[in-house]
Amino acid sequence: MTIRGICAAGFLSALAAMPSSSGAATPPDILVVAQSIDDVVSFDPVEGYELTPFQAFNNVYQRLVEPGLADPSRIVGGLADSWDIGADGRSITFKLKPGAVFAGGNPVRPEDVIYSFVRAVKLSKTPVFILQELGWTAANIDSQITKVDESHVRVSWVADIGSNFVLSILTSPIASIVDAKEVSAHAVKDDFGNGWLKTVSAGSGPFKLSKFVPHQALILEANRTSPAGAPKLKSVIIKNVADAASRRLLIEQGDADIARDLGADQIASLAGKPGISVTETSSAQQDYIIFNSASTNVPALSNPAFWEAARYLVDYDGLANKLLKGQYTIQQTFLPMGFPGAIADKPFGFDPAKAKAILAKAGLKDVKFKLGVFNQPPFSDIAQALQASFAQGGVAIEVEPMINSELYGRLRSRNYDAAVLYWFPDYLDANSNASSFAVGTGDDGPRTVAWRAGWNNPKLSAKTHAAVVEQDPAKRAADYAELQKAVAASSPFVFMLQAKDQIVLSNKVKNYVQGITPDQVYYEQVEKR
Amino acid sequence: MRPIAKPLAGLLRWLGSIALGLAGLILVTFLFAHFSPIDPVIRIVGDKATPETYDAAKAALGLDRPLILQFAHYAGGVLTGDFGTAWSTGQPVGVDLARAFPATVELATIAIIIGAAAGVGLGLIAGLWPGGWRDATVRVVSLLGYSVPIFWLGLLALLLFYARLHWFGGPGRQDVTYEMTTVPVTGFLLIDTLLAGDKDAFFDAISHICLPALVLAFYSTAGIARLTRAAILEELHKEYVTTARAKGASQARIVLRHILPNIRATLITVIALAYAVLLEGAVFTETVFAWPGIGRYLTISLFASDIPAILGGTLLIGACFITLNSVTDLLVGGLDPRLKR
Repeated sequence: MTIRGICAAGFLSALAAMPSSSGAATPPDILVVAQSIDDVVSFDPVEGYELTPFQAFNNVYQRLVEPGLADPSRIVGGLADSWDIGADGRSITFKLKPGAVFAGGNPVRPEDVIYSFVRAVKLSKTPVFILQELGWTAANIDSQITKVDESHVRVSWVADIGSNFVLSILTSPIASIVDAKEVSAHAVKDDFGNGWLKTVSAGSGPFKLSKFVPHQALILEANRTSPAGAPKLKSVIIKNVADAASRRLLIEQGDADIARDLGADQIASLAGKPGISVTETSSAQQDYIIFNSASTNVPALSNPAFWEAARYLVDYDGLANKLLKGQYTIQQTFLPMGFPGAIADKPFGFDPAKAKAILAKAGLKDVKFKLGVFNQPPFSDIAQALQASFAQGGVAIEVEPMINSELYGRLRSRNYDAAVLYWFPDYLDANSNASSFAVGTGDDGPRTVAWRAGWNNPKLSAKTHAAVVEQDPAKRAADYAELQKAVAASSPFVFMLQAKDQIVLSNKVKNYVQGITPDQVYYEQVEKR
Repeated sequence: MRPIAKPLAGLLRWLGSIALGLAGLILVTFLFAHFSPIDPVIRIVGDKATPETYDAAKAALGLDRPLILQFAHYAGGVLTGDFGTAWSTGQPVGVDLARAFPATVELATIAIIIGAAAGVGLGLIAGLWPGGWRDATVRVVSLLGYSVPIFWLGLLALLLFYARLHWFGGPGRQDVTYEMTTVPVTGFLLIDTLLAGDKDAFFDAISHICLPALVLAFYSTAGIARLTRAAILEELHKEYVTTARAKGASQARIVLRHILPNIRATLITVIALAYAVLLEGAVFTETVFAWPGIGRYLTISLFASDIPAILGGTLLIGACFITLNSVTDLLVGGLDPRLKR
């Protein structure tokens, strides 16, 4: 045999010997999710504030109360069996579920609730501002949560807010209950076990975090003793696949059961493919324009007439249906549809002639401003479309792409003209967005989004405060409807779009549930058939 | 004394130049990171954090201290082997690098072995038959290697060899069945699976590394083949080759015994450079193939404004580059008598 023959034979033998791993189905009791998990900083519920940890929290932890699986706007018991509102209107007494145990085997006690809330407030990590809505501070938290008896715990608050709102706050991931015995055993100095809890879990959810390797994979293992009920799966493997095209290939080949965050073109190309389907859920993400009315560079940006004209210079339909190919819907108020209190008002349309008339009447001409935007799709595409549509009304936009932290830095210091941004509510209550967009403050108050826009409407601020105290749900909903209309009509914000989550599922995956907020990802009912 | 003192002085000079190079690298990267308009605190606390939380995080990161103190603190840590904690993963940078770098080294090493063999082979063919169809074919291959975007090539390779032909594994270092089943000992999955005695996992790892390695090898082949061709052509016209031919030496003998030994210093330099480029981390290849290597780690860190991770990664790559260059110099010096003087 010649050398050439030997080489050819060797190559072919090597190919033949190579096992073909592709096309193999994923194991029947393991769910494989392909997505990017590069955002993970911490899986400690008092610290994690990125998408991937949020998606895990509901599965590994329980709160005292949680959004209902079937109807997320209805609050149901999690670790709490029942609760009583205190006669003082400033406390709720929770009865813990009898026999509830953590994944580690320790029973759930009032001490665990106390420890969980105290560590959340005292560690003061990123999401702590949610619990601070209750008036909790590091100085007063020790007196706010008290043990009543072996199965009851009383949660009190000092802020002037209603109990319905408090229950909503307590559904957020930062209010997750951790196993105090286990976490405190791993505490180093005064870190409340935060260093340890970054990559493990100590909760009572239907899964436990069994392994996490940054930028590689996250493995959730079934917790058969969970008070929430044993999951049907043995484990969930969330595999880091940063490239969307690679995620598409994995789901097409059956090497993944769920693929997230595919582009509009990729979703379109998967339509009709055998064995997979695309499911759509409303997301609470809203995209909006913010004008800095405190800007000295462009005086027109502080003129309400300019804000009004801008609402007619957005091609809402073109953005949602043509540019973004159905991955967004039009939403023109500060609450996303599907969220408690949201209204479907869409009073504005693309009308450059009307915008020109408004600008002319206000004596505004040749307005030109810089529009900050995240340097990634779809925001860069949206900014370009806005540049074109505003030009039709005689308004010139200079697009300034930049990375997220730079743009947020400029917003926080009010060093910008305008920006295209996105927003997620922080908890399942209308106040989350209302207190951000409708409450203006001075420089010494909380730096709300309205503050960043240099906008302060005392009447709307007062109405927002009143709405959060209101106990009558119908009256409260009416208050938020009014607030939404007022902000949509006369603020330096132009609400444009609401995102949809398009998730690609293998047809074998049954009972996958996803809600409107990023944390409402539920693997507990999932099975593969 | 003199015969010992001379190499010792040379070694010290060599180590000194490496230390100086790395110190300069840290300083420049540190200054670049700090004078960029990016705010790392916001990346960590998020845009909704209260000013108090923001200030507390800034203080915890040490960013409220004067720049010179920040640098002194960092440099002091590096000297004791502490690269700090990566802000984007919450893990010690050393641990992150120890996890990401072996993945890149494993991939780059296999890629450079294939790339060097193919590049030298193709360069030889093109150089020995210049102007013919073989030469034209090699030039087309080189041109493709130079000009085709590597992420596109990677996607095409996945589409063809993974999705259509099912010859190789898909994105990632392992199939989900084997995901994280191997205890990392060296970080090199091929070695660790063998150490664990898990043959199935070993073959699975091979099936996953083949495609990214071939894509990277193709990229390296282009450069190595062109330079090999040029070196061969230059040697073919030299008098010693004419003499060998006049003496009746066969073409194979001329190539193997005369030309290759004369161009090996060039080849080693070219291959070492190509290897160094691969060790820097092929960001696009690692992204397309979901390969958790140093290129992706550094890119994610850059986007996250994670200064300790950027500095640690830069230092590691700089050290590799300098070491590889030094080893190449030593090898070339040993192989080429003209450089010994």
